[in-house]
Amino acid sequence: MHGEYKMPGGKLVVIDLALRGDRLADVQLSGDFFLEPDHAFACINAALQNLPAATDELAIAAAVHAALPAGVRMYGLSPEAVAVAVRRAVQAGIA
Amino acid sequence: MSRSDWRAHAWQLVHAAPQRPALHMALDEVLADEVAAGRRPPTLRVWEWAASAVVIGRFQSLRNEVDMEAARRHRIQVVRRITGGGAMFIEPGNTITYSIYAPLSLVEGLSFQEAYARMDAWVVEALGTLGIRAWYQPLNDLTSEAGKIGGAAQAHRGGALLHHVTMAYDIDTAKMLQVLRIGREKLSDKGTPSAAKRVDPLRRQTGLPREAIVARMIDTFRRRHGLAEGALRDEELQRAAALAQAKFGSAAWTAEVP
Repeated sequence: MHGEYKMPGGKLVVIDLALRGDRLADVQLSGDFFLEPDHAFACINAALQNLPAATDELAIAAAVHAALPAGVRMYGLSPEAVAVAVRRAVQAGIA
Repeated sequence: MSRSDWRAHAWQLVHAAPQRPALHMALDEVLADEVAAGRRPPTLRVWEWAASAVVIGRFQSLRNEVDMEAARRHRIQVVRRITGGGAMFIEPGNTITYSIYAPLSLVEGLSFQEAYARMDAWVVEALGTLGIRAWYQPLNDLTSEAGKIGGAAQAHRGGALLHHVTMAYDIDTAKMLQVLRIGREKLSDKGTPSAAKRVDPLRRQTGLPREAIVARMIDTFRRRHGLAEGALRDEELQRAAALAQAKFGSAAWTAEVP
């Protein structure tokens, strides 16, 4: 399942995922955004694994936010944009 | 720490013979780390490409961005760089690429947007002397009224800033569209119906040979900031070659985001 979101004034944020039961699995973030330090990328992917598929945008953004390492630098990317892409991917799977 | 002036640093130019795409990726990592460690002076590296390539951004999905079958058919090497940003389609005579390895102090206190603009003010001036009124289009595009000229990316490594830019001198749009998958979502934001219209290459805008544009850029950097002739050290090249083999030439890295 695949969801994309182009942040206004930002970059393309893409989520690919599967549903295992009623939870998110194999979640993979990608896109042409800027994110540092490098391991922040793995932190975001890990934070999304196993979330209930019904998790709303606000809660997804909060989960991403909580997983970010200290000193993170994002350009063209935000926890809220990730949350929109996740919801779009889930809805694409249900539709 | 307060922001440093360009002139506070002793800039060195590295402009080597054509090198493989994976080696270019590795050199960016090695030279940024050398500047961070204080073993190399701040450096402007002008790239020459030995092969056609697609260079994808650090966080891009390989299969979402690249048609690997088309890339193989056209003998185009696909590599992943260490900075974020979007995919670049490279053919040796069609591309002007450079990297700046600078102390972080040069962009101290600046926003992302200001830092990108500061690192390329010399290029905007160089293009201006060639009759192109260029400017920074946030987040990371170099553009003119005629269209997009190039794209930049930055990364921080230790105490060093890596800033690199690829500009289109000329472009085989048909081939690019075969190899790159251009996302619909992205195009809708740019308000243009095709990727072809987004880029207007320097050849058309200047009518000059590629080498003349590169020479003007280097001259402009030298006049504004000072620039001594330099070269890669053997040790740097050996480390980059090892990294090109072990990391940037590996499927594990290139497909790290499948």
